[in-house]
Amino acid sequence: MTRASSSTSPLGRLWKTLTSLRLTLALLIILAVVSLVGTIRPQVFDTPWFLAPLGLLALNLIACLIRGLPQAVHRVRQPLTPAAALTLPERACFPWPATPDPHQQAEAALRRQLGRVQKEVVGEQTVYFRERGRFRPLGPYVVHLALLVILAGALVGKFLGVEGQLTLAEGETARDFTVGGTEKPLDFTARLDRFQVLYYPDGTPREFRSDLTFTRPGQAPQQAVCRVNEPVGFGDYTFYQASYGNIVRLEVRQGENSRIVEAPVGQTVRVPGGQGRVRVLEYQPDLVMPGKDKEIHLGPAARLVYWEEDGRPRMVMVLENRPEMADKQPGPYRFYLKGSKSFAVLQVKRDPGVWWVYAGFLLLLPGFYLAFLRPAERWALVLRPQEKGTWEVRLLGAAPRAKEAFQDRLERLHELLMKKGGAA
Amino acid sequence: MIGLSEILGGVMLAYLIACFLFLVAILWASPRLKSLAAGLLGGALAAHTLAFFARWAASYQQAAAVTPPADLGATLQLILHQAPLSNFYESLVFFSWCLAALTLIFLSRYTESFLGVVGGLLASLLLAYASLGVDSRIKPLMPALKSNWLLVHVITAFLGYAAFGLAFGAALLYLATGSTKQAANPTRPLLDRLIYRAAVIGFLFLTVGILTGAVWAETAWGRYWSWDPKETASLITWFIYAALLHARLVQGWQGRPIAWLAVAGFIAVLFTYLGVGFLLPGLHSYLS
Repeated sequence: MTRASSSTSPLGRLWKTLTSLRLTLALLIILAVVSLVGTIRPQVFDTPWFLAPLGLLALNLIACLIRGLPQAVHRVRQPLTPAAALTLPERACFPWPATPDPHQQAEAALRRQLGRVQKEVVGEQTVYFRERGRFRPLGPYVVHLALLVILAGALVGKFLGVEGQLTLAEGETARDFTVGGTEKPLDFTARLDRFQVLYYPDGTPREFRSDLTFTRPGQAPQQAVCRVNEPVGFGDYTFYQASYGNIVRLEVRQGENSRIVEAPVGQTVRVPGGQGRVRVLEYQPDLVMPGKDKEIHLGPAARLVYWEEDGRPRMVMVLENRPEMADKQPGPYRFYLKGSKSFAVLQVKRDPGVWWVYAGFLLLLPGFYLAFLRPAERWALVLRPQEKGTWEVRLLGAAPRAKEAFQDRLERLHELLMKKGGAA
Repeated sequence: MIGLSEILGGVMLAYLIACFLFLVAILWASPRLKSLAAGLLGGALAAHTLAFFARWAASYQQAAAVTPPADLGATLQLILHQAPLSNFYESLVFFSWCLAALTLIFLSRYTESFLGVVGGLLASLLLAYASLGVDSRIKPLMPALKSNWLLVHVITAFLGYAAFGLAFGAALLYLATGSTKQAANPTRPLLDRLIYRAAVIGFLFLTVGILTGAVWAETAWGRYWSWDPKETASLITWFIYAALLHARLVQGWQGRPIAWLAVAGFIAVLFTYLGVGFLLPGLHSYLS
């Protein structure tokens, strides 16, 4: 496509819009505003309000890559030649006496300020030249490519990945897990042997720990410990310690009838054989009361609410070690606490896009280095013999994107050369 | 023996005095006052650094008393985990440290006193906030924070915030000097360059902070990105500074629009740092 046609045809105009920086800036601002809404309503990130500008930004990035990358590669593949170096703008020019020999002095000074330099004799002149940040033009494209790889990884994860939950009581074995309300089978079994919360002396949690056993049919079982920040991988899936809770065992007596109810804390369950329902509001593995000389440990305790058949709620406090307290409970039922066990909630995930995302992260770093930390600088020092064995020294160079750093280095180089034998 | 909070109180005062000295150095055009101010800032930063490491040591000893590390590897692991960067107080102290350190680095490059005024003032304000009513006790680490990513994530994020803080200060000065109609003010082009420089450094650190946070989230929660309010706010910040850099680098914008973007960006930084933590629930208060 030539420039003339690109600005007239409708397709050309579309292309021009897609590659324009104005579009980039508009999209970035729009995305920032929509994201601001998203801090309060995260659902917005699944709607076209966010996905459309994000998709356009991806198109914008791709278009800019297609348009600019060949030029950048072309520029990078043309290293500085002595002929090109001689056309750089002149920054300083001064005479040099016959002794000391300027070649050695100039080379040493250049090496100190610029690193290794190349040397070439052009006619009667000697040209020292040096190019820094030659790959700088690639920087922005590497960064944009990295962002596209990250977005691609997110898409791969969205369409090929699976994310769900597995809620396991101690001693329970699972053959499937829950993905958005439906069960998805595992090709192995997962058993929670034990769940523990370990505490610091001040009572705050130190560790959440699930001891798991995975078994593939026909193979030896494998044990693993899953903690926060220490996920466990088995088969295609990774398991993360996400949450936990208690399941309280209650004995419910009504006259001569006795039944056992297992109630996860916070969930309402039906009392078997009747219309009543019960919910454990709070469970304490050991209720501690401050005493006169020492603390009194009352043992496991639960606070629960139950609804009779007619819907009237009653609050009850039960202590495992004080079953006689049940006699004072109101209503037709008597509740007894008969131990508890824990359940763990594990996040279950398979995401083939993560490696794309990480590859994008890694690619960003050299991209940033090239784009921001390696400004392009071109330098040349030209020695031309004058009459009576004296010399003329010319310093040439350019750094369009790092004028300050260039000026500093130029001054230091000039000063150094003056000290070594240059004359004002 | 003097406590750490007294040392930090002294550091706060020294930053404030340095800030005033820089201001007077501008008004009197006195290079001697300027070097005195820079020396005071440097000395205060050294004391600040000592206080930081002393708290690190105290934090380590407290943790080692509860769970003594078994071998050298476990010891190193515990040292990494106990870096004093795990609560609001510690983050304020470190934010202030980053600002003072970046100010000194920028001062060695651009010997302009207004840098010291801005950096010293912001650094002392942050320390003042930390000393007033923020819980400064060393608390045991909650499980979600026990990660090797904590150190690099927090350090890069706050170096980014600090650089944005400097850009913000320079932008305010730029906008303020513009309104007095001093068209030939020689510091304005310099301020303009400074805004850009600081924004570049902040952008690099913020990006690395977001990346390390994502890798950490993947190991802790099984999701590298979950639209947690803090993540979203940091992304907003990132979008704004990305816009600033593109406007400046490709479109060649200068002066007021860039300064305004730097102001908007820093408001987003404050929203990321304070607003989200105080106003919105999310995974950054995980399991607490």
